[in-house]
Amino acid sequence: MTGRSTRSGWAFVAFPLAVVFLFTALPTVAGVVLSFFVWNGSDAPSFIGLGNFQAAMTKDPQFWYALRNTLIFAAVTVPITTVLAFLFAVILNARWFVGRTAVRTMFFLPAVVSIIAVGYVWRWVLDPKAGLLNATLEWAHLDALFGGDLPAWLGDNPWGLGAMILVQIWRNLGFCVVLYLAALSQVPKSLHEAASVDGAGPWQSIWCVTWPCVRPMTAFLIITGSIWALQVFDLVWGIWGEAQMRWTDVLNAHLYREFTHLRLSYSATIGVCMLLLTAVVTIAQIRWMKRSEEADR
Amino acid sequence: MSAANRPHWLVRWLVHVVTYAVALTMIAPFGWMVSTSLKTSQRAIDPNPSLLPDGPPTQWQWNHYVEAWDRAHLGDFYLNSIIVALVVTVLSVLFCAMAGFAFAKLRFAGRKITFAILLATLLLPYQVYFIFAYFICSWLGYIDQLHALIVPFLASAFGIFYMRQSIIAVPDSLLDAGRIDGFTDFELFVNIIVPTVRPALAALAIFTFMASWNNFFWPLIVIDSSDHITLPLAVERLSAGQFVDSWPQRMAAATIITVPTIFVFVLFQRSFVEGLALTGVKG
Repeated sequence: MTGRSTRSGWAFVAFPLAVVFLFTALPTVAGVVLSFFVWNGSDAPSFIGLGNFQAAMTKDPQFWYALRNTLIFAAVTVPITTVLAFLFAVILNARWFVGRTAVRTMFFLPAVVSIIAVGYVWRWVLDPKAGLLNATLEWAHLDALFGGDLPAWLGDNPWGLGAMILVQIWRNLGFCVVLYLAALSQVPKSLHEAASVDGAGPWQSIWCVTWPCVRPMTAFLIITGSIWALQVFDLVWGIWGEAQMRWTDVLNAHLYREFTHLRLSYSATIGVCMLLLTAVVTIAQIRWMKRSEEADR
Repeated sequence: MSAANRPHWLVRWLVHVVTYAVALTMIAPFGWMVSTSLKTSQRAIDPNPSLLPDGPPTQWQWNHYVEAWDRAHLGDFYLNSIIVALVVTVLSVLFCAMAGFAFAKLRFAGRKITFAILLATLLLPYQVYFIFAYFICSWLGYIDQLHALIVPFLASAFGIFYMRQSIIAVPDSLLDAGRIDGFTDFELFVNIIVPTVRPALAALAIFTFMASWNNFFWPLIVIDSSDHITLPLAVERLSAGQFVDSWPQRMAAATIITVPTIFVFVLFQRSFVEGLALTGVKG
């Protein structure tokens, strides 16, 4: 920090701060307040305290389906994506791997493309009758795994949730691989050399040297990945559409549907629930990571 | 991994096979999209799909691209998307860099408290604030205008924070030297800060562009008519059966929309990946 206290500081921050304040901070406060009212956007709002939250807990089965699916979605996609990304990053970081750059690009492509644009390609891939996925499963004679009946991936059944998880992993894997590659480039070479002098094989070197070294990145990916997974919307909306289903609905889709039906305060209530859920999960993860770091010391 | 530490050749061979198989899976949907777009409507919905369209490439249904472009008015939506993404990217990077500079290197009253509030907003999911952001836009007369897709994104807590972290690493001695030369704070920003943190600016620009280009939820909320929708919304309406009715045409539209992002990505891959690496480390 240099220089004297100046007035010009405010000249630099005034407009950017005004934008963030006007379109984020202020609407958040208003949204939290709204969750204690009943309001459809036109009539006068009336205060009902925790009534909206009570309604979500007791009178809205769809809220519970959406909550369950969101939690399963996050709990399954985040660890799988993180571990797979680490393994592929190690592979794509190895000098003996032929065609690293091309493969990295292929991995990363799904992350840059709008999921809406590839959304109906996926709808097509997942189509139970004419889709690529079931055609491949049949071709590989894997239909026996599903008891002879190939799953209706787009239908209202647990396979639908499974397909959502599949698409999410497909979309995010490359992104996590690239971040891990960045972290790997900072692992000191001397550590691996020391390990091999000590007689460690390649696998031991990976698990005992590389994995602990990239722990900060793992923590970052788990925390941000969980936040994104809990707030997933575009993927679900683009592929499964707006139908109110028991197995493919998520909190954010439920919230948006309530908004379009002009149940604004109830929509805000779901938003506050998502905020609380995100906060709880994030804080729990940070504490758990801190504790395991301390345990290692 | 050093040469002495290479795994067995059989392991290496297996790793190549598995990794290439996964990489193919990653791009398979894109290949399927292009292939379907060139099939006849009849063949596209055949329960026994073929990998490639029938016949030699001269007999493939290239006309689907022209039809999709015309019927779905993709030209107009392209223009909307380009205007929004370009304006947002240029201005937002500028404003975030300015604010980041002030928070990193200038003293002013209320700096700490405003920065703390800013950081707090970073954690908020948009689900809590979009309703009143919508009403504020409506109060400003932005609904169904491209303004609604631009003004709220002219600065972001993430961008300001990211720029502050990058600028704080610039040595103070550089700035002091500038001050001795009689630079004002604004001149310091233009002549010293901007050239020094150019890689961070590039990274933020790419993020902002991609986020704006692919944004779906917010346009869905604030844009009602067909005139001002951006590409992701156009695609969503296409898939709902608006504009065109055949699968190959929809696939052609999806290809037209997807190809530029892939192109931009491949073109800027290095700075994109480096940018990601930067944020990752900061995160």
